[in-house]
Amino acid sequence: MLAHYFKLIWNRKRQNFLLFIEILVAFLVVFGVFSSIVYYYNNYKRPMGFDYNNVWTITFKNHQTGTEKKDSLIMLYEAIRNRVEALPEVEAMTYTSENAPFTMNTNGTDVKKGTIEIMADDYTMDEYYSKVLKPEVLEGSWFSSRDNGRKLPPVVLNETSKEKLFPEGGAVGKKVTVSGTEKEVIGVIRDLKDKGDYNAPFKAVYSKPDSGFYNWVSVAMIRVSPSADAAFESRLYKTLSGLFKGASIEIEHLSEKRVVKNGITVVPLIIWFVVAGFLIVNVALGLFGVLWYNISLRRQEIGLRRAIGATSGDVSRQVVTETLVLSALSLILGGFFAVQFPLLHLFDLPSGVYVTAIFLAMAFILLLVMLCAVYPGKVAAGIQPAVALHED
Amino acid sequence: MLSNYFKIAIAVLKRRKFFTFISLFGISFTLTILIVITSFIDHLVDPGYPDANRNRSLYVQRMESSDPKKGWSRSGPVSFHFYDKYVRSLKKPELVSFQSMPSPTVTYINNRKLSLDVKYVNADFWNVYTFSFIEGKPFSAEQLARSEKLAVITDKTSMDYFGTTQGVVGKTITTDNEDYTVAGVVKAGPITDIPSYGELYLPYTLMKGDFKGTTLNGSFLLTLLARSENEVDAVKEEYAAMVKRIPPQDKEYTKISSEADPFLASFARPILGGDHSDGMTKLTGFVVAFFLLFLLLPTINLVNINVSRIMERSSEIAVRKAFGASSRILAVQFIVENLILTFIGGVLGLLFSLLVIWVINTTELIPGGVLTMNYKVLGLSFVICMIFGLLSGVYPAWRMSKLQVVRALKMAQ
Repeated sequence: MLAHYFKLIWNRKRQNFLLFIEILVAFLVVFGVFSSIVYYYNNYKRPMGFDYNNVWTITFKNHQTGTEKKDSLIMLYEAIRNRVEALPEVEAMTYTSENAPFTMNTNGTDVKKGTIEIMADDYTMDEYYSKVLKPEVLEGSWFSSRDNGRKLPPVVLNETSKEKLFPEGGAVGKKVTVSGTEKEVIGVIRDLKDKGDYNAPFKAVYSKPDSGFYNWVSVAMIRVSPSADAAFESRLYKTLSGLFKGASIEIEHLSEKRVVKNGITVVPLIIWFVVAGFLIVNVALGLFGVLWYNISLRRQEIGLRRAIGATSGDVSRQVVTETLVLSALSLILGGFFAVQFPLLHLFDLPSGVYVTAIFLAMAFILLLVMLCAVYPGKVAAGIQPAVALHED
Repeated sequence: MLSNYFKIAIAVLKRRKFFTFISLFGISFTLTILIVITSFIDHLVDPGYPDANRNRSLYVQRMESSDPKKGWSRSGPVSFHFYDKYVRSLKKPELVSFQSMPSPTVTYINNRKLSLDVKYVNADFWNVYTFSFIEGKPFSAEQLARSEKLAVITDKTSMDYFGTTQGVVGKTITTDNEDYTVAGVVKAGPITDIPSYGELYLPYTLMKGDFKGTTLNGSFLLTLLARSENEVDAVKEEYAAMVKRIPPQDKEYTKISSEADPFLASFARPILGGDHSDGMTKLTGFVVAFFLLFLLLPTINLVNINVSRIMERSSEIAVRKAFGASSRILAVQFIVENLILTFIGGVLGLLFSLLVIWVINTTELIPGGVLTMNYKVLGLSFVICMIFGLLSGVYPAWRMSKLQVVRALKMAQ
């Protein structure tokens, strides 16, 4: 039977060629849409890895410290921390590098272990970071005051960089070289999605401040109690203005920054989905029209089929199956194109995303084509053999 | 002849309403999306306010110091030192505006946080950009030299801070623990126009950061205004020659490159271009490719429907052929008919676009920006519309002209 359908399609290859191309292009569009949906959904599903509620970022630019000495700087910043933590609404305060959560800033560094070399996001912070963001420690421990007794500077990896550097597991206690400095891994934490909810897993390393850190530090984060309100924020701003001499200060809430950062990902996606959605509706209407018209051209053929014993069910099934076979041919070619994406590692998305997207897109197209073919099939089934054959 | 085609086209459109609906839906929505995108691009590239002199302006957004041997590079906006020591010596530009990238500062009014984007500017900024002053006036070069604490604010800032735009000149606005006297209130420009956008404009002499350094990289953009459109190239060349003469600043960075480009190129260069190309060819390529790809599906769809419709008219075609009409005449007739159909779709698309643009403007999707339907957008959409009509008409017309009279008559029984 299938061979017969192929023959029918082949006999009308000129009319079918355009349909074939249209389904092919539609498939590629839908494949693109599903790739992005699957990719972003997978990222969205992963846990945040830290608690951004009630965390505020403090940016202080042009802080006039009046000293270059490392010891005096540490004393100065320690004193500021004590003053801020003394406020009843503040639970903890930490100084970090500029790539704080939900900012646009990134710092990269190379990390080596034996022959393995990776590029990773490079974060610097003091030990109080864990009290503010509450990252989830999976192995070993976070930094603490005991680190000063170590021979090598400590470093904490996130899950993704651990899997790359220590595929066989057991990272704690091993040595890695971070931008030329040998460090000892003391812990592994769950990936922080600090670039937004749709953040893909990324390799990251966390280090304690080096000697130059307090010369250029300009970001701190505090965890506040849920009762901290705008009035407190205004008071805190005045306090900070007195503590950070000459600096311009900005206080931001992580929960608000997260919304903005997510928007940067989501808004272009929404525009893209609206455009793609319109294209699909357009294709569906066109398919429907063309199939319907083709049926009216083939009245005699269908009349003859009915005359020699095909039931109306057979006829409508034939119309739907023919269209599905044609779509399947289109999808085989489209699939061939789509498979190139994971094979050639285009756009750097995981292969699994593409494979899932290919199957979803194929199912979607087949469903769409079937919906478009059902009504013309019904029309065909309603053709009376006597009438159709009389016309000829 | 044309009026005849027109009558036939309308008659055909009335014949199969469902097909007509599909065709018109496809055409009008495709055009709506393209027109809105074009209008948005036009708004990004040339919003008109406050930069009325865009056609004779050149923009500097990139200063790259690099060491080609070691592969180090540092790139970004320029510094005050660069402007002061090198750019001031340029003879060709009529005016040079010098303005910082907008950066946020915070102020608290009765426990309400207000974040304002501050832009530090020189006095010529107000001559290069034609802001309309609701009240007051800009700070002068003398006031700037004396580091007077004056500020020009936008009407939006004035509403947020004072709750009014009237009579605020002379009042004090406090941000970042500094008090400034309001010198003027201007109508806000679009947030998307980085070189002119700000919510609070201050004299650059008040900048907190130390602008006495000797590096070339900083946080400033330049706008060079040529005396006329014909002199733009001369200004560009003079700037390039000036950059060539700058000695290497330190051991680490031996090569210095910076260019004065037309507006769009000044954005395209850092992203798509480099030292040798301004990235405009690539950018144009991307935009054209996007438009063509986007048109592909609706076009195939329309071709499909048109082919079906032609076969419906085989009797008409056969009769005309039998009476001696040439294939060419028939093909031309069909293409013209199709253009008429596309044109009707285009008009509908235009109405839809006006609606979408009105919605975007009233909901203020782009802060401070107003999308417009100007003659540029209109002209371009007309061209797109025609291309669309031709693309979708040619193949079916060719198919039709190939029809054998005998077969056509038989089909038409």
